[in-house]
Amino acid sequence: MLVGNQITKTSEGVPRIAVGILLGVLAFGVFIVGFDQGEMLGFTVPADGSGSEQGTNWAHEFYHDMRHAAGFPCH
Amino acid sequence: MKAITFIAITLLAGAIAGTILGIINQVAVEPYIEQAIELEMHNTAQSGQVINPAEFAAYRFWQKGGEIIAGTILGLSIGSLYGIVFAYTRGSISGTNNNKKKALLVAGIMWFVLFLMPALKYPPNPPAVGDPETIYYRQSLYVAFLAISGFSALGLAFLYRKMVMASSNNTKKKAIIIIPSAYAAIMAGAYLAMPANPDAINAPIDLVIGFRITSAITISMFWALLGVIFGAFWDKANFISNKIAARHN
Ligand SMILES: [Zn+2]
Repeated sequence: MLVGNQITKTSEGVPRIAVGILLGVLAFGVFIVGFDQGEMLGFTVPADGSGSEQGTNWAHEFYHDMRHAAGFPCH
Repeated sequence: MKAITFIAITLLAGAIAGTILGIINQVAVEPYIEQAIELEMHNTAQSGQVINPAEFAAYRFWQKGGEIIAGTILGLSIGSLYGIVFAYTRGSISGTNNNKKKALLVAGIMWFVLFLMPALKYPPNPPAVGDPETIYYRQSLYVAFLAISGFSALGLAFLYRKMVMASSNNTKKKAIIIIPSAYAAIMAGAYLAMPANPDAINAPIDLVIGFRITSAITISMFWALLGVIFGAFWDKANFISNKIAARHN
């Protein structure tokens, strides 16, 4: 009985708007740190500024070390 | 607790734990990453490409700084998921009324489901291991395994709640055995069924193992910190909002 009461009380107490916002933060953060290969932020600019095909994904490079350290697959 | 307070403590706890992770990794994991990148550079140099050492040092300095920012962002996002899970599950955790203990327990379960399980199947690798050609394939494998672990834990958590709510003590006792066993069975099946990481490890094994152990320790520390900080904030925020409510009465 006590347990049942607690459950109804607490699950009603989670505001939908908070869940929505936090899920947005989750998706965005995990994607750019863990998975982005240049699709997302469009930071893929040529490393030497020549405009050649070969480019550097600066966002990926910036988050790169943490991607390895957090166990995501990388190069 | 108000929605805005809940969001604030969730984001703050995540950001703090993540930033600390980024800072600790500067001394704990970076030596391995440095060593791996030196190996890569050595290989690049042998293939005839010229690297300017000063430029490269500046670039690595910038990149290491990025790890701290990335830690903050990762902490914010993992913290967000954690906050949601805690808010929904804390009512079903029996045995204690201590929110700090519950916070740590939830962090421990999520660490197990979202970090340890995928890491056992697809162990983290330092730079110098891994073929860029297979990155999308490796990412899909990793995401698939992570999803199997995460969603079966989620489904089983609902089932657990249902079983615990059924008031018979016998069902509760059963739930404590059945739910973890079901999870173990699903994960063992997935472990055997999913293909292995296709890339050969062609870096020194000491480097790879050292990197894996050290990074696993710092990530585990991150989850523990997240639980401790969030639990403290949750209690503090509850205390304050109760005080305000009492004053209004
Ligand atoms: Zn990499």
